[in-house]
Amino acid sequence: MTGVEPVIAQVTAIEASLLVFVVLTAIVTALARDVLAAVIVFGAYSLGMAALYTFYRAPDVALTEAAISAGVTTVLLLLTLAKTTRIDHEAVFEEINIPAAGAAGFLFVGLALTLGDVPAVGSREAPVWSNPDVTQWYLTETYAQTGVENTVMAVLAAFRGFDTFGEAVVVFAAGIAALIVLHREVFA
Amino acid sequence: MSDARPNDRDTEAGDSGAEDGESGDAPTDDVPAHRAVARSGRLDSEQRQGTPYTESQVIMPTVKIVAPFAFTYGLFITFHGSGSPGGGFQGGAIMAAVVFMIAFAFGIEATRDWLANTVVVALAVGGALAFAGIGLIPVARGGAFLQYDLLPIPVKYGLESVEVFGIAAIVSGVLMGLFFLLANGFASDGSGFGDADADDGIDDSDDIDDADGSASTGSDPTPVTDGGER
Repeated sequence: MTGVEPVIAQVTAIEASLLVFVVLTAIVTALARDVLAAVIVFGAYSLGMAALYTFYRAPDVALTEAAISAGVTTVLLLLTLAKTTRIDHEAVFEEINIPAAGAAGFLFVGLALTLGDVPAVGSREAPVWSNPDVTQWYLTETYAQTGVENTVMAVLAAFRGFDTFGEAVVVFAAGIAALIVLHREVFA
Repeated sequence: MSDARPNDRDTEAGDSGAEDGESGDAPTDDVPAHRAVARSGRLDSEQRQGTPYTESQVIMPTVKIVAPFAFTYGLFITFHGSGSPGGGFQGGAIMAAVVFMIAFAFGIEATRDWLANTVVVALAVGGALAFAGIGLIPVARGGAFLQYDLLPIPVKYGLESVEVFGIAAIVSGVLMGLFFLLANGFASDGSGFGDADADDGIDDSDDIDDADGSASTGSDPTPVTDGGER
């Protein structure tokens, strides 16, 4: 892990097909008329994103995306849908809302204009390499200081442990807030 | 086509409104006024409340086979956060997802009886207290919050204990709690939502739902206005 030379990654066929899959599922999620179909396609989108993260060497993020977005969020949305009335539609897709599509297209063009300045994956020009003293310090010193091989976990639990404590309390508070909103005293 | 949905909604509301009018004419009707109002809304319609649970011969054996492995994977992710990708957050979410899977296969009510509210609350509260406690031990020894080298155990196990006893417990407990909360839905009883007597039992609310469902089907001549739309 120490002092890795950046590798300029080529976009492989698997990555390219995953990217196409993610874009297609995102569009279908936005346009699907039936909410159940939108939820299911959104789960597929999250799964594609999780696979994509593993290809970009972020397995921690991929695990979170797969567990939370593809798994838990989909289940909670499905549960919410089961509680509501489902309407049968003749049309599969929404009719495209012209102003919304215009705004989305405007945003897309604006973002696409910045693509030329985005460094390639793994490039030396990437912002993460702009301060190698800091980033390399964590990679080289983490094991010596904590005895933990997973740098991401060491940063989360040790180097910024107080932030993580705040995040954990936020998750806890979310459960309490759900109880308060629903006027319940038990999780049932 | 975008006009179709509001029209659907209007006809549906109109139908149930007419039905409410009929039930209002009969003073001996069991359905109270506020419940009749709640039924006219799209959310929380009573036909939808009693979600039918069917035993699937495909899902149940599949979950029986998959669940132990998935739960072990969640434990692995939780306990091996220091050596491999993952950690308490991801592992806790996977373990909670296993519980969701079991609930979908064997019925949410049965899972709720098996996994009592005390367990869920103990996980969430215990996790928060454990994280704070592990953080405060170094403070008691004159150091900073979460200063792991002042713990009586090696630094690596200090991090691991925060991940396992703190984060994983909080995440799995809160996610399971949200699942059970959402599964119960907005119980339209008394003040519109929220169970008036939610604290004295879990089966109680289900009995109420069942009783109301049977009462409405018994008293209303046309109980399937929503079912016809579906």
